[in-house]
Amino acid sequence: MNDTELISQILNGNMNAFTFLVNRYQKLVVYITGRLIQRQDELEDVCQEVFIKVYQNLGKYRNECKLSTWIATIAYNTGINYLRKFKKFDEVNPDDSVALRNLSDFGSKNYETADLHRYIRDQIELLPVHYRTVITLFHLQEFSYQEIEQITGMPEGTVKSYLFRAKALLKEKLKDIVDENSLKMVEEISNEK
Amino acid sequence: MKNDRLIEIIERSVGVEPNFVLPADFAQRVTTAVVGHEQWKTDLQEYFYLATIVITLLAAASGIYYLMDKELLIRTMNFFASNWAPVTFVILTLNFILFVDKVVLRLLFSRSKNN
Repeated sequence: MNDTELISQILNGNMNAFTFLVNRYQKLVVYITGRLIQRQDELEDVCQEVFIKVYQNLGKYRNECKLSTWIATIAYNTGINYLRKFKKFDEVNPDDSVALRNLSDFGSKNYETADLHRYIRDQIELLPVHYRTVITLFHLQEFSYQEIEQITGMPEGTVKSYLFRAKALLKEKLKDIVDENSLKMVEEISNEK
Repeated sequence: MKNDRLIEIIERSVGVEPNFVLPADFAQRVTTAVVGHEQWKTDLQEYFYLATIVITLLAAASGIYYLMDKELLIRTMNFFASNWAPVTFVILTLNFILFVDKVVLRLLFSRSKNN
């Protein structure tokens, strides 16, 4: 069932179609809100709030953008409102040197590829909120720059800059902890797999 | 060279799914919550409709009595005016019972069912 059919079914009162929509988009919503609020215990309530808003505003959806972009916008705004409500939204202009200091060290000397991927994923959680948001939207959900601009309200240039700076921070941190030898080892492991 | 390799590793890692999970029955729970939320609005609407109908019927009856038996209506009005406190109390109580019956009890019942 495509999105247009799904929407018309829901607007006609078919709640099974709504359950189907939630199943289809729950990963999108949980990744965006999760990366924003970073609290597993509150995550279900926030995601539920997002889908209730989706249901209540579905009649206003006008096909001007993809349904996923529209839902992501609601998820982003709900997450940002949550952060503002609990006064955790103070990262308007992220300071990269502070952000770099916030990143943690690699726990072991064992550079298995999976470990390194997990380590980087954990470091993303420690990045400033805008950095981790654009990384999630661009790399995990594969939204375009224009779509991210639509979702977050940030200009395209800012989105690109945050993405670049986020990766530069991760690279800077990795540079300190991964030497040439271990990189070769990681490459060998990757090639073997 | 090291830089290129690091960038390659980062590019691959940023696509790794985060550790956030929702319960397996999340979609069903959301649907139930939405149904409950919409039901609450319908119940509130029903309560206002009923209250409006009762008020309209009373107003219509008063109008008819005004035409048929003006004296009785004036006596009734005088009674209300001289006993405004108990009359107000009775009206508010009836209104409260209607509200509890049509809105509050249904809301509590649906919440207890969901939990």
